[in-house]
Amino acid sequence: MTNRIKELRARHNLTQDELARKVNVRRETIVFLEQNKYNPSLRLAHDIAGVFSMTIEEVFLMD
Amino acid sequence: MKKTIIVFVIAALVLATMGLWILCTQNSFKPVDILQFGIIILVTGFAILIGIRRLASAKRGEPTEDELSKKIMQKTAAWSYYASLYLWVAMIFVKDHFKWDTEVILGSGIIGMAVIFFVSWTVIGIRGIKND
Repeated sequence: MTNRIKELRARHNLTQDELARKVNVRRETIVFLEQNKYNPSLRLAHDIAGVFSMTIEEVFLMD
Repeated sequence: MKKTIIVFVIAALVLATMGLWILCTQNSFKPVDILQFGIIILVTGFAILIGIRRLASAKRGEPTEDELSKKIMQKTAAWSYYASLYLWVAMIFVKDHFKWDTEVILGSGIIGMAVIFFVSWTVIGIRGIKND
């Protein structure tokens, strides 16, 4: 699974810290997500998609 | 925050116990003792580092623990459990083939477990966790 978090974060002018605070996780988790080293829980995926006002499928892409 | 305080308290207790051990020892230290001190300081320093990182997260307004850090800790526990089983088998082999005191074998086993935990946490922390 890959994701578009880095691209969407840049488009919304959000830093990793800001996104982390919005979805209530540590900055390291955002770093791991952007490097595709971690697949988030459904809850976290939902929260991240919500920050970008998109659906989970639009943010997280299945290979 | 409570867990962070507990980490600092445990680190302080370990260092205080080691200090007592050094103060109460009458004989000079063997190289094995110095190695054990070094490993204890290394593992305690690692715990303090984790505590400081958690405090930094709390200062930034982030949670001190989240789903990734919990998963890393769970996987670390599972890995280090299996590795520790092999360590104790190795210790039994050592006991049968070398003339080591029981205290030395137990002490080395406990420190070995701490080192295994530290190494597992570092490796999993670098590699990340992919569910697929």
